[in-house]
Amino acid sequence: MAAHGTLLRGSMKQIILHIDMNSYFASVEQQANPFLRGKPIGVTGKKHTRSVVAAASTEAKRLGVKTAMSTWEARGICPSLLLVEGDPKKYSDITARFLKIFHAYTPNVEQFSIDEAFLDVTGEAEDFLGAVIMAKSIKEDLRTECGEWITCSIGIAPNKLLAKMASRHQKPDGITVVKEKDIPAFLSLSRLEDVCGIGPRILRRLNALGIYTFAHLQKTSKTTLIQEFKQYGTWLWLVALGEDGEPVEAIDDPPKSMGHSYTVPRDLTSPRDMKRVLLALADRVAWRLRRDGYVAFGVAGHIRYNDFSHAGGSERFHHPIEEGGILARLCWNIIERHRHPDKPVRLIGVTAIMLQPKNAQSSLLSGDQKIQKLFCALDHLQRVFGPRSWTRASLIHTRFKERSSGFHYDHDL
Amino acid sequence: MYESYDDPINILVEFVGNCVQPREFVWSNRLYTVDQVNLVHTTQEGEKCYIFFSVSNATNMFKLRFDPSALEWRLMELYCAGA
Repeated sequence: MAAHGTLLRGSMKQIILHIDMNSYFASVEQQANPFLRGKPIGVTGKKHTRSVVAAASTEAKRLGVKTAMSTWEARGICPSLLLVEGDPKKYSDITARFLKIFHAYTPNVEQFSIDEAFLDVTGEAEDFLGAVIMAKSIKEDLRTECGEWITCSIGIAPNKLLAKMASRHQKPDGITVVKEKDIPAFLSLSRLEDVCGIGPRILRRLNALGIYTFAHLQKTSKTTLIQEFKQYGTWLWLVALGEDGEPVEAIDDPPKSMGHSYTVPRDLTSPRDMKRVLLALADRVAWRLRRDGYVAFGVAGHIRYNDFSHAGGSERFHHPIEEGGILARLCWNIIERHRHPDKPVRLIGVTAIMLQPKNAQSSLLSGDQKIQKLFCALDHLQRVFGPRSWTRASLIHTRFKERSSGFHYDHDL
Repeated sequence: MYESYDDPINILVEFVGNCVQPREFVWSNRLYTVDQVNLVHTTQEGEKCYIFFSVSNATNMFKLRFDPSALEWRLMELYCAGA
């Protein structure tokens, strides 16, 4: 297979916007509290210990603080850093508001994370000038609806790949346009790690092949990339051209799994304490399954030790699972097979896998029917009075702190 | 830094269009004026909805919570500048 001869091929007529909120959680906190504005702040999950910086303000980033840095490391780099405990419900509400703004411009909105979205505005904007006017208008609406401190960077390009790369070019509060004719120049100015999908591991493997820049990638044959990266090689070959065939998906795919994990405030050594945390997590997963009308035919469990090594596994089952107690028991059996008995545990996670829509027919066994009726009543209670309306007696002393990161905050949990 | 409370307050609000703007409130027998409403957000707990107002004056930021079903206002959070 020949190396890339030209950078442009095919017809690329789409106009895609990638909107990335700047230092999102930190900006929301600075919007809410003017005394934090202009200061280096880090939004954390749990303020003092065992936490990471979920978002750093622009000022903190300038001083070297990075997202996902541990709080002690961040304080070491920036002693003046103000740590602010995150408020996930607040961020979730603001996310819903900016998504509503985006939907006013086009129905083709794909939420990519809590602070990013793709918009396909091909029909609405008509051309790139129209897209720039639309981007400016979205920024203005955002300022009016959410406040002047909550800003975004917008990338405008013929596909999602380039739009996402473009939005990183001017931060904060920028608009970057990459038209078809600009693609070669834009790629030559970009780094391979700017591409969503080229992480540190892929980058190391590319470097090992002598590929450090887009120019190197463009000179590499498709065959070589496929030999080295299998299917991923085809994607990398398209990346080198600045091409991306992925459409903006306005509707979410049905979930393949549902899971929760939790970093405990203190390392756990007793299986009884681990089982309690696991049961509380499993109850949350099971509630989501029932609420969204799914059952699981598999369970995965994992733990992280205090030395950051981890263990876990998964198993398939023939019977549908939708109850927290059963989920926890099956998950514990998996964890127990892999767990080192002497190592303290800092994180526990449970995931319901192999999800299928729930069949309306209820079980014929009277014991199962009783349990189903019980959870039907408890679910009703939770829908009306919220997540703290009931708990198991064994979990009365098991409390979770709210997270400030994550794809989507769920108010029902 | 931030201090958490869950105290009832008496409040004076202004209706501007279809928005509610807190203007001043009494907490622990002291009157506090509101210079700015910085952010309003809502949360849902079961069927219950709460509206939070992050407001400030020259020296403090307050997070106030309004419960529309009970028509009750509470002070939830206080941030003193320079504290």
